Formats: sequence, structure tokens, C-alpha cells
Amino acid sequence: MNARSGLRLGARALRASTPRAPVARPFSTTIPQYDQGKHTHFGYETIPEAEKQGRVAGVFTNVAESYDKMNDLMSLGVHRLWKDYFVSTLNPGATTPLGQPQKILDVAGGTGDIAFRMLHNAHVLNGNPNIELTISDINPAMLEVGRQRSLALPAEQQSCISFLEANAETLPSSIQDNSLDLYTVAFGIRNFTNMRAALKEAHRVLKPGGIFACLEFSKVDRFPLFNAVYKQWSFSAIPLIGQLVAGDRDSYQYLVESIERFPTQVEFRDMIVEAGFDVAGEGYENLTGGIAAIHRGIKPLR
Amino acid sequence: MATALPTRTATRCFRTTRPRTCNQHIHSRRAFHSYDHPPPPGPFGATETLILSAAYKHVPEHGFTHRALSLGACDAGLLDISPSALPDGAFSLIRYHLYTQRLALAAKSSHIFQGEDAPVGVGAKVTALTWERLMANREVIHQWQEALAVMAQPSHAPASLKELAMLSDEIWYLAGDTAVDPSWYTKRATLSMIYSSSELFMTNDHSPDYVETNKFLKRRLGEVQSVGGALGAIGQWVGFTASAGINVLRSKGARI
Repeated sequence: MNARSGLRLGARALRASTPRAPVARPFSTTIPQYDQGKHTHFGYETIPEAEKQGRVAGVFTNVAESYDKMNDLMSLGVHRLWKDYFVSTLNPGATTPLGQPQKILDVAGGTGDIAFRMLHNAHVLNGNPNIELTISDINPAMLEVGRQRSLALPAEQQSCISFLEANAETLPSSIQDNSLDLYTVAFGIRNFTNMRAALKEAHRVLKPGGIFACLEFSKVDRFPLFNAVYKQWSFSAIPLIGQLVAGDRDSYQYLVESIERFPTQVEFRDMIVEAGFDVAGEGYENLTGGIAAIHRGIKPLR
Repeated sequence: MATALPTRTATRCFRTTRPRTCNQHIHSRRAFHSYDHPPPPGPFGATETLILSAAYKHVPEHGFTHRALSLGACDAGLLDISPSALPDGAFSLIRYHLYTQRLALAAKSSHIFQGEDAPVGVGAKVTALTWERLMANREVIHQWQEALAVMAQPSHAPASLKELAMLSDEIWYLAGDTAVDPSWYTKRATLSMIYSSSELFMTNDHSPDYVETNKFLKRRLGEVQSVGGALGAIGQWVGFTASAGINVLRSKGARI
């Protein structure tokens, strides 16, 4: 109880300092190249582009610790199935001949949810320990959660992971052009200030034939009735759960608003195509009627 | 990158087109046959075709599996992981087989219908084309039971049935059938049934040149003709009796 109220207090303090005005911005690093006049959205608010990164950082610093518990409550546990499915369709580590190295970058993967599954898939299911996995996140708090959790993994799996604090829109030069087999981003791209820049960057770092795979909340437009129930749940229940469990309503209000603002399956697919990827078939796959969707792109040879 | 864009606009599935064109439906299909317009592009895009055509060569050895796909991707200069972009995994490879063999039938038909022992009449042509399509499975027949199991999975069954329907439509079309009465439906339904059962028979057929399958196919087609003929005769009789009955009633003064 003490711990919780402590967390809540901490969260409140952080929230208070989450910048509305550009004066106090604890987690923001104002990026000079962004045009100050450009605006982007933060949930339903419209804010200067330069400010979004800091605001998102505030949200995820707030939610980092209760991340798993909240995900379970909000999605009724289904997020685990989505993530399992996401990783099993990519099937990392399935190489011929077995043991060929595979380089994977998991962007916005701070807590390691996707990365650890991929490790399991490669090491245990495919018996291929020769993969290199970089977990990248812009937020050190989320990355710290992942680092802590990775200590529970078997040593041989731990040795495959490296952590990287980086902005997905401008990946550091340590990740070279045409160097990756697989680029994944799960429930992260929604929060990027400039998604197109991140997609271009993904295209840059992938080898020809490399896969861009994105798991993200999407639209349930095809089923109006289900959509109504889902909207009711996300706008009424999720902020409430956030308030009760994590002591932070605003962060979860942001979450549902940002889901609402995210482009539709087709629009996002077209963004992927525009960034230079090829898509197969429709280019996306709906999960649970479209609450989440998997988008996959392949970097063509030319 | 940008310079590569215009060349790819032709393929609709693996598209690298501008957003405006992206809003069109991704599978540009046409519900009719046109002599005046080129056929719409197939359901597979550029990179997808690259992977699938290379993987198809590995099917006789490895079956319609992920392994064949990833071997194919490596042959094509891509990566082991590249096939995971395909939406249906191994089923994509099965669909590729069904699709390419269906299209190949048109070219084969002109070959079959020429020469001295060319089949005469729609019925004989249908038999010849169905047999030709069955023979297209010859290379992969030992993997076909597994493929049928994949095709029967609930998530793939609609696509498989659609492909079957399109195959029987193709056969009737190539055989020169132009009927537009309700028999349009029954013809396609029965041919689909016969084709799929012959295919199943063929997976267990070890006779030389699949003569048993050939006999099986001919028996089934013969049955349909005799049953169809009997049904037609019954229909004719019912129709005649009904109109005669009405005429008798009219002659008695009934106001019908």
C-alpha cells in the first residue's frame, strides 16, 4: 500500500511537471532541427512537434513500472496472445542452414516483451542461438525495466541482447545501412513524433529482403457493434483502470486518444509503401477484429 | 528509391505506388472476361512472386512448407526471414500453385484442341482440360495430401474454395461453354466436385501414368451426364404433363 501510494505520489509529481508550457520539460530534449512552428498531435491535443517527444517520455516514465499489470487489465490478457502470434509469424531464428546469424532490432521494445519472445523462438523453438538482438527505446525508464527483466533469462539468451537508448527517427550510426534482417516495433510507432521519418530510417537499416514488422492498435471499423463496445471500454474503463491501478489517469487517457488518432490499417500500409517497402497481399493482418493489426513490409532488392 | 516507383505501379499487391492510387482496392479483380482489355494483374506482387516462384522449385523435395519458402527466398537473393512478409505463410505457396496452374491451362488448351485427336464437343473438351489440370499436379502429388490439409483449415478454406470455383469456371470457359441458364451453376458445381474428388483419388494412385485416376475421372463425368440426362428427361416430362393438365382443365372451361 505504501509502495503504491508512493508510486502514485511520484506519478503525480511527474505529471505535474509534464510540460504543458515549454518551460518545465524534464524529459524533453528539444531537437533543434524541428521547425518550432510545426505541430503534431498528442492524444487529442495539438502541440508543437518539438514538445511531443518530451510529453511521450513523461507518459512512459509514469507507466513503466505498472506497464505489464496495466496491459493485462486493459486488454484482458489478450496482448500476450497478440505478441505471441506476432513473434511466431515472424519466426526469428528459422534459418537454413541452421545457425546462420540474424540481426534484429526491436524498436520501442524497452520492456523486452517482444525481444524475449523472439529470443525464446530462436533459441528454444528453432535451436538457433546465433541471433543478435538490439532492444532500442527512447525512454531510459522503460529500458531499465527491460534490463532488470532480462536478468531472469538464461545466460546464453542474455548474451544475445544489447540495449540501446535511441530515437527511432534518427537511429545512431552504430546501426549501419543495410545491416538488419528484422526490424520490429510493437505498440510503439503510434507515439513517434514523425512516423514517416521512422519508417524511412527502418528502410535504411534493413538489408534488402529484410522485414519491417509492426504490431499496433488499429481500427475496428468493419464491425460497428463491436466497435461501439470497444470504444466504450477504451474511453471509460481504461482511464479509470489507469487511475485505480497505476494512479495515473492522464497517461492512459493519452493512450486511448493516441490509439484513436492513429491512421487506419490501409492508411498506415500506404505509409509503409511510401517509405519504400513492398507489401504482400493486403499488407496487414487484423487481430481481434482490428483492435490491433500487424503490418509487414519487405525491403525490395532494388 | 523514388526512381524505382513508377516501374512498380503495374503490380498492385506488392505496391510501391503513391497514396492516391493506394486507396484503390488492392486486389484489382474483374468479375468478367474481356477480349478488349488486358487481364488484371494477378494476386501476387513483384517481391512476392520472386519468393514464391523460387520457392516453388523446392516443393517437390520439401513440400508446401516454410522450409521451401525460405530456401526459395535465399535462392532469389533475399533473406531467410523474407517469407514472413507473406500473409498466409505456406498457404501462399499453395495458392501460387493453384493460380499459376489455372492460368497455364489457357495456353495448354490451344495445344490440346489442335491436331487430329482433338476432342470434339464441349463434354470431351471438359474431360480433356480437367485431365490436363490433374496432370499439372503430377510433380507435387506426393506433397498434395499435406497441401489439401492446409487448404481445408478454416482460415484458408474460403480462398481454396474460391480458387476451385475459378478453376471450374476456367475449364468450362475454355471448353467453349456459353450457356447462361441455371445450368451455369450446376455445371460449375458438379465439375468442382468431380475435380476435387479426382484430385484426392490421384494422391493415392500408384498406377502407371495415373490410368486409374483417368478411369475414375471418366466414370464420374459419365455419371453426371447420365444423371443430368435423367434429370433433364424428368424435368421435360413434368413440364409437359403440367402444361397438358392445364390445357385439359381449360378445355373443361376452367378460367386459368
